[in-house]
Amino acid sequence: MIMCVGLSAKIKKIENGMALVDADGAQREVSVELLPDIEPGDYIMVHAGIGIAKIENTEDVTDAQ
Amino acid sequence: MLSETARKSKEIIQQNKTPLRIMEVCGTHTHEIFRLGIRNILPESVKLISGPGCPVCVTPENFIDEALFLAKEKKCIIGTFGDLVRVPGSGMSLEKARAQGAEIAVLYSPLDAVTLAEKNPDKEIVFLSVGFETTTPAHCLAVIHAKKKNLKNFSILTANKIMDNVYETLKDSTDVYLYPGHVSVITGTGIYDSLKEKNISGVVAGFTAEEILNAVATAILKFKEGKPFSENAYTSVVKKEGNPAARKIVADTMDICTSTWRGLGEIKDSGLKLNDAFAEFDARKKFCIPEIPYRKNPACRCGEILQGKISPVECPCFGTVCTPRNPVGACMVSSEGTCSAFYKYGALTK
Repeated sequence: MIMCVGLSAKIKKIENGMALVDADGAQREVSVELLPDIEPGDYIMVHAGIGIAKIENTEDVTDAQ
Repeated sequence: MLSETARKSKEIIQQNKTPLRIMEVCGTHTHEIFRLGIRNILPESVKLISGPGCPVCVTPENFIDEALFLAKEKKCIIGTFGDLVRVPGSGMSLEKARAQGAEIAVLYSPLDAVTLAEKNPDKEIVFLSVGFETTTPAHCLAVIHAKKKNLKNFSILTANKIMDNVYETLKDSTDVYLYPGHVSVITGTGIYDSLKEKNISGVVAGFTAEEILNAVATAILKFKEGKPFSENAYTSVVKKEGNPAARKIVADTMDICTSTWRGLGEIKDSGLKLNDAFAEFDARKKFCIPEIPYRKNPACRCGEILQGKISPVECPCFGTVCTPRNPVGACMVSSEGTCSAFYKYGALTK
């Protein structure tokens, strides 16, 4: 659990500012309060338990850290 | 197998004859550049410097001493990211304090510390709020959640850093910065346009082999043009406007302050602390932490390494008394640290 690593994850569902995301098969809830325009199916960059950006080109998601 | 784009970038890099210093200021860049073998393909003309990109590495010893005070004297549960646990304070690390009975909880997110506080109403939970622009919004969000939940047993110990003034402080150590990808996700690229006006150049870099090679090749091509520049080579997530919602919650929650950087000393307007509206969540105020002076280990040369003045292998501690198993300096403790990377990939360094 180191601080700096960001990982890309796919949104499975969103409820009350929290999203269930899937990152290479690992699922967990993260806050998406800081991402206004996202929906299930989108890929986001997750850092320290919060979504910080929507990933625009999903072909870039492979091993982005 | 390199893509066509990556092959072209590699060609540009390897054909370069113009002397050029490139400083990366992101711990993940440090490690990915080593891990991907990118240092090995650089020509003699390109010098890659690892700057102060790891928040753990720039956190001063007395911050750990403050956390130890809270754990040992005030019996708080300390919530922290894992890479801070083994950082030596001036006396011991949190890991050693845990072995002596202190309660240290390694957590993935500051939001998990809020949950921990809810589950332990009879305990004080203090989360160690360390990080650059990328991580600070998560700390602020945790404080906002705690306030909404009216939690009285949650606070944070701040050592948050902002990079803006560091680029200017270290501008003579490099010709071009590889700007940190995830910091830039939050800040946007406007800040780099402002730096360009001050003759500071850089390229925002992503983290895959193709993205890093592209950023280095862009740095080489733009540097040859002889004018300051600001380029974004990580456009899939870094936008000009950054993440305004993240910046707003930081502005609503924290104030800019002077901050001490391990090895670099005090830098004006380079840190963040909770503002008056959230003072009840400031562990320094809540627990009246006494002022603990900043004392550095005189043998450790992390400070010069963080400024790119020396390579880790030039430090007499490196690989002898300072190893990942028994770290002396923070650059060896964190897996994002420069010394840790040099140690781990030592056979590949140049």
